[in-house]
Amino acid sequence: MSPYTKLLTSLSLLLGTTITISSNHWLMAWVGLEINTLAIIPMIAKSHHPRAIEATIKYFLVQATASALLLFSSMANAWSSGQWDITQMTHTTPCLLMTMAIAMKLGLVPFHFWFPEVLQGTSLTTALLLSTLMKLPPLTLLLLTSHSLNPTLLTTMAISSAALGGWMGLNQTQTRKILAFSSISHLGWMAAIILYYPKLTLLTFYLYTILTTTVFLTLNTTKTMNLQTMTIAWTKAPVLSTTLMLTLLSLAGLPPLTGFLPKWLILQELTSQELTPTATIMAMLSLLGLFFYLRLAYHSTITLPPNSTTHMKQWHTNNPTNTIIAPLTSSSLLLLPLSPMILASI
Amino acid sequence: LDTTLLSSSLLLTLSTLLIPVFTLLLPKTLKSPTATITSATKTAFLISLIPTTLFIHSGTEHIISCWEWKPIMNFKIPISLKLDLYSVLFIPTALFVTWSILQFASWYMASDPHITKFFLYLLMFLIAMLLLTIANNMFLLFIGWEGVGIMSFLLIGWWHGRAEANTAALQAIMYNRIGDIGLMLSMAWLASSLNTWELQQTSPATHLPTLPTLGLLLAAAGKSAQFGLHPWLPAAMEGPTPVSALLHSSTMVVAGIFLLIRTHPMFANNQLTLTICLCLGALSTLFAATCALTQNDIKKIIAFSTSSQLGLMMVTIGLSLPQLAFFHILTHAFFKAMLFLCSGSIIHNLNGEQDIRKMGNLQKTLPTTTSCLTIGNLALMGTPFLAGFYSKDLIIESLNTSYLNTWALLITLLATSFTATYSLRMTLLTQTGFTRTPPTTPINENNPAVINPITRLAAGSIMIGLLITSFILPVKTPPMTMPTLTKLAAITVTALGLILALELSNLTHAMTSPKRNHASTFSISLGYFNPLTHRLSSTSLLISGQKIATHLIDLSWYKKLGPEGLAHLQLSMAKTSTTLHTGLIKAYLGSFALSILVTTLLTQTP
Repeated sequence: MSPYTKLLTSLSLLLGTTITISSNHWLMAWVGLEINTLAIIPMIAKSHHPRAIEATIKYFLVQATASALLLFSSMANAWSSGQWDITQMTHTTPCLLMTMAIAMKLGLVPFHFWFPEVLQGTSLTTALLLSTLMKLPPLTLLLLTSHSLNPTLLTTMAISSAALGGWMGLNQTQTRKILAFSSISHLGWMAAIILYYPKLTLLTFYLYTILTTTVFLTLNTTKTMNLQTMTIAWTKAPVLSTTLMLTLLSLAGLPPLTGFLPKWLILQELTSQELTPTATIMAMLSLLGLFFYLRLAYHSTITLPPNSTTHMKQWHTNNPTNTIIAPLTSSSLLLLPLSPMILASI
Repeated sequence: LDTTLLSSSLLLTLSTLLIPVFTLLLPKTLKSPTATITSATKTAFLISLIPTTLFIHSGTEHIISCWEWKPIMNFKIPISLKLDLYSVLFIPTALFVTWSILQFASWYMASDPHITKFFLYLLMFLIAMLLLTIANNMFLLFIGWEGVGIMSFLLIGWWHGRAEANTAALQAIMYNRIGDIGLMLSMAWLASSLNTWELQQTSPATHLPTLPTLGLLLAAAGKSAQFGLHPWLPAAMEGPTPVSALLHSSTMVVAGIFLLIRTHPMFANNQLTLTICLCLGALSTLFAATCALTQNDIKKIIAFSTSSQLGLMMVTIGLSLPQLAFFHILTHAFFKAMLFLCSGSIIHNLNGEQDIRKMGNLQKTLPTTTSCLTIGNLALMGTPFLAGFYSKDLIIESLNTSYLNTWALLITLLATSFTATYSLRMTLLTQTGFTRTPPTTPINENNPAVINPITRLAAGSIMIGLLITSFILPVKTPPMTMPTLTKLAAITVTALGLILALELSNLTHAMTSPKRNHASTFSISLGYFNPLTHRLSSTSLLISGQKIATHLIDLSWYKKLGPEGLAHLQLSMAKTSTTLHTGLIKAYLGSFALSILVTTLLTQTP
């Protein structure tokens, strides 16, 4: 990709995100979302591979639909209530439609179908952007309107996202699809708590961003796209394989790693809100995720493949490791003891 | 003076029996062990006549109770021995019969290398049986009960190289065990409700519940081979003839009836138990008699005859006449043991031939044996004034004059006529007719070890009926007046059976081919009981065991409801959801639209 295109698209991404998260008016929010969509389209289609083009088209169709629906719902609300304030989304049907539009943008069940295929069609770095940065504006809108959302719908979407993310992830061998479904299940957790303690949603999102950035960048170093490549990736970067295992377990939500913190706080808040069945079901469904994360960790680090290697460590690597992995890995493994400080500061 | 003499002579009897056990355990034996044991038994018999004479003279009953065992504070189990009518008459009878059998066994088992062990087994059996008869509480009775069961197992399987002998021994143990369930049930009930195992304390003035009495009935049915628990008795003929003579004709199989006689006060008022006794006994006697009609093995005929007489004893119990049943036990012991000894003599002399179709004309070659065989059969049939008459005829008369079950009455009469038929068949085929044995059989009965026991028992089976009825007064008044036909009922049906058998035996000279009809097939295959119950019960038990252990516990609880079932569920969900993700964008957009529509419609508040 030519540097000018890269510059244009990346700056447009930042612009769109900033416009949305700092807006008061629904139209500005919509503008920001549209800029984001348009900016990321060339990034997805960067490699001109048919699969990438297909991913681009799918992404565009879904996001355009979602933006249109969002605009429609804000207009309907403006018609009924006479104002365009984002936080005053009070009428039920527009609010409902808005929720579903944002769910489509985020990738919550039952609007998630596009997400794995789009992730599969792009490179790992673009997939990272899609999973982290592109989730921020819609999540912000959801946070701003969190007091007027329909609880039943959100809880249904949350539980089914956790469930589907778990079940679908069991049957995948492509790492990008696995990470897509992990993203879907984490979004489910975020959606579960948004009505009761929105700060926890934000916390979950931040920690999820750190974790998933670590994983994506680690995988990008060794260019592992599927499970088979993962078994021999340890020769390229042995230390990274070790930390990858721990990071994956942190994604699964295993104490004493960082990923446990959001799950723990969400379960605690749900229980104190007398939503114990929801909490129990979410906790049980996260076990499914644990299984495929453990399988990834198993294949990457714990076992050796049956094929013999002629050497233990490759002496020549193609690209050097991205140094940002280091602090990210440390954060993704060791932040749990700092949880009081984290809670106080979000 | 009477009581001291009674108790001391009893103890002397028992110790006389125990001496060979201890002396023969020493490595150096004095003279031939078989002679030692035989003479010990003879001495014990003579000593045991002392208590009998005392009892006949004064009617003294005596209970010896010593050395209690207190497992729990208020539950005492003393060693309590009772010398009443039953035990004081049974002990000399049993010792007399055993003496004769031991003498016979020294000839019969002469070629056996382990003859000493055989005699010791018989002696231990005798001690257990005597313990059973003089026991005054259920604990000692149970010890004797189990003792005779174990010795029966060891003795039936004496020739343990033979597979049929082993299966027969196991069959005996299993059927006896099923009966023991009833005995333990009633013992447990007695211990928990009446807090005693003494027989004196178990007959309360008020009505006793049915459960313990049914338990006792089950125990008697198991030990005394009533219908339903009967197949082990014909199978027990796999043992040597002295074993059959001692255990399965005179002593062990009557243990069940003896238990019912001892505990009769417990259920004398319980009409249900008495009716069950009556009907079960009647059914057993008819069934056994039917099966005996077509048997060709001489020992099996006598075994079924024993089974039939045991049914008759059960009928007597059902008529509430325990003393009469006991008399029948005593008289039956004599002639049945003699029948077995005669058959043993015949078998040994014909070099192991047991099939009556291959015997004939033995009257000329074995005169003493066959004469005693005839005497025994006549006594069994109830010929007037032989031993069997005094007990059997009284039973039939009481049955006829009672106001009880007519069906049981008719069945018993039919069985009586069958008794005559099969006895005559056995007699005719073995003694008369043409010789069907191979010409070179070494027939020689001139051994005193053979002749003396048989003639002694023959004398007993002639005289014992008269002796007992002369000296012992009946407890209940026997029926004195009845119509002539009723009085002659037993004789009439016996005579009818005899005539029928004679007529049928004429057919065998006429060279007609035997026809197969349902009745004969029923009789030959022993009522189809054995294949039906043996296969069915074990197969169903094993199948249910497999279902419970393997299917239910291992597969279902441990696997399906646990890890494997869970994994299967997740797998099916994963497969279903993967199929849904088709990759077609139109389907996706359509599902989005549908979801939006459904959600907006569902959340409309009317």
